[in-house]
Parts: sequence; structure tokens; C-alpha cells
Amino acid sequence: MHIPDGFLSPATWLSATAMALPAWWWASRGLRQRLDDQTLPRLAAVTALAYSLGLVMLPLPGATSGHLSGAAILALMFGLRLSFLAFSVVLLLQALLFGAGGITAWATNVLAMGLLGAGSALVVYRLLRRLNEDLAVALAAWVSIMVTVTVLALVLGAQPIIAARADGQPLYFPFGWSVVVPAMLVPHALIGLAEAALTLALWRFARARRWPGLAPAAS
Amino acid sequence: MRLQQGTVWLAAYLAALVVIGFVHSPLVLGLALGSALLAARAARWQLFKRTLFALALFNATVSAGYALVATLQGNFDAGVLLVLNLRVVLMTFLGFWFVQRNNLLQALAFAPGLRFVATLAAGQASTLQRAALDAGMALKSRHLGRPDLATRSRQAAAQAAYLLDRGLQAAAEQALALRSRGVYEE
Repeated sequence: MHIPDGFLSPATWLSATAMALPAWWWASRGLRQRLDDQTLPRLAAVTALAYSLGLVMLPLPGATSGHLSGAAILALMFGLRLSFLAFSVVLLLQALLFGAGGITAWATNVLAMGLLGAGSALVVYRLLRRLNEDLAVALAAWVSIMVTVTVLALVLGAQPIIAARADGQPLYFPFGWSVVVPAMLVPHALIGLAEAALTLALWRFARARRWPGLAPAAS
Repeated sequence: MRLQQGTVWLAAYLAALVVIGFVHSPLVLGLALGSALLAARAARWQLFKRTLFALALFNATVSAGYALVATLQGNFDAGVLLVLNLRVVLMTFLGFWFVQRNNLLQALAFAPGLRFVATLAAGQASTLQRAALDAGMALKSRHLGRPDLATRSRQAAAQAAYLLDRGLQAAAEQALALRSRGVYEE
């Protein structure tokens, strides 16, 4: 799922960075007030879990890689602003310490996983929680994976259009949408089921241990 | 002084990424990679091995996929693969070199909140990694051969619950330590 360095054209990743800057500013406003002594350590614990989950990757032919994310559980437990910042940290550490994802693709990955993926999880959870909380949590996690990979596949598949040589050969990621969209979406539909099961297990675990802050995310 | 040096390295690293992104000549990219290898001195092979290990599987998958699709379409160009792979290897190598030369958490000094979460998360991640390694070695030591699926599933479930409890416990300890040092009053 992570896009590594060198797969995106500068036009793409510089634009994504420009878009991510206001999102980071929005997410970090009043951060110190929101990070109380209950929230901060638990945020760090779940962030560490998301960090570990994202490092177990499978290569996907015609795409980049497939893995669990942890973005949904971060969003459901801590809200969108904190989870976006935490996921930014996750992706930064993964990129620089393990080469999983890239610095040039950092903003793209963060926007796809930490903002759109996490945001879609919150929307689904809020829509369905009155119907059935377990179903809402599981579906939120699955949708967050599918939204994330759809965005990443669209960005990757656009590269041959955005940047190509005069003879039409690609300068960066070589596959168009017809290859990359199914190559990413089909395996992730299954990976999303594992993400849903894991998110639900973590949610129940946290509920059983009476973690504070598990009320529906507020921001 | 140390922070200034780290900041200069960060700026140089980011500038290099921008420049490399616009280079499409395999010769220039190859020379840049060679120069970076030379400049990394004693750490060069360790960093290069780490780079190849991090990228090999994914780059091989993308490269093989391109070779197959482009050959079927009759427009295969080895130069595309060469440039793509050289660029990815060079950028990743520079990232590992940057981290090896500098304290990553210092590089986040521009965002104290982010650095705070990163410090805690990195500490928690290494604790969880050690615990997972211990559990894996314990499982191995209890069996002569490879344990069956049921045993591995039970182990995985127990290990997951342990890791979460350990995370929770570490989180509580950190909260107390942070409070005792007045972090929340800053």
C-alpha cells in the first residue's frame, strides 16, 4: 500500500505535500491541550501497533504492496486530528527506518491513509453505530482500507499520464489505471477483512479493559 | 551545534530528493549513486545491503510486471527499468544514510508535539518488538520441529493479548513518568 520513493513524479508529490501542510497545521492546533496524561500514552501504544502492522507487507504484482494499516482503530479511538498526526509519525518512521514507503511519497501516503482512510472509517462508524456497534467498527475498518487503496491506486495509475517521455514511455511508476486499480483493490478487499477482524478485536479488547476515550470520536 | 548540523543534513537530503526526482539519465543517477556510496565510507555496504533488502522484493515485482506488460504490448524499454530502479535505490539509500548520520527525532524538532508522539511510539515499538521476538523464541524452544497450525494460532492469540496488555502497562508507566516530570504542566 505504501508508495516508495521514486515512484511518483515531483509534480505529484510536491502537490501532495502542499495539500498536506494545511492538514498538518489543522491537526496540530491545540495539540498540547488534547494530549492529556490518559490520551498520550495510549495514543503512543496504538501508534506503535499501527507502526508494527504496516511493516508486514506482501508485494502485489502491478502495484506496490499489501498490508494491514491500523488507521481505522487510531481514528475510532482518538478522532481524526490525533490519528492523522499519529499516522504521519508512523509513516515517517517506517519510511526512514525500514524504507517502507518514501519521504517523497510521505504526504501522499499520509493523506490517503491517515486522512481519507481514517476519515472514511469515522463516517462509516458514525452512520452504523446505532445499528450494530461491532458491525460499524468492522465495516469502518474495511472501508478505510478500500478508500485508501483506491486513492493510492488512482495516484499511482496517473503517473504514466502525468510524466512520460516523448516516445510515451513512463518516467516514474509504469502502470496505468487499468493495471494498478484491480491489482491493488482485489487483494486489499481480502486484506480489509483481516483489518476489520483485527480492528474489532482491538476495539473489544480496549472496551474490556475500559480504556477511556472510547466514546465515539469527537473530532 | 549538533542540531544545526542535523538541520543542514535534513535540508541537503530533502534538496537531493527534489533534484533526483527530475533526473532521468541512468548515467547521472548511476554516478550519483556511486558518489553517495563512496561518501558513505565505512557504512556504505551495510547501508546498501539494507537498501536492497528493503526494496528488492517490491522493485523486482514492479520491474517484472512492467517487463511482462510492455513486452506483450511490444514496447519494452530496459532504460525505463534502469532509471526507475536507480532512482528508487538512490533515494532510499540517501534516506538510510541520513538516518545513520543523524538523530531522527532531532529532525522533528520543528514540531515538538510530533516529536513527542514519535519518541513515545518508537519506544513502544521497540518494546513490542522485543516481546514478540521473545515469544517467538519461546515457541521455537518448546518444539523440535515446526509447530502445527492450531498451536501457532493459539500462540498468536496469546501473544497478541500479551502484547496489548504489555502496551497498556507501558502506557500507564509512561503516563506516571511523564506526570512526575511535569510534562503536562509545561
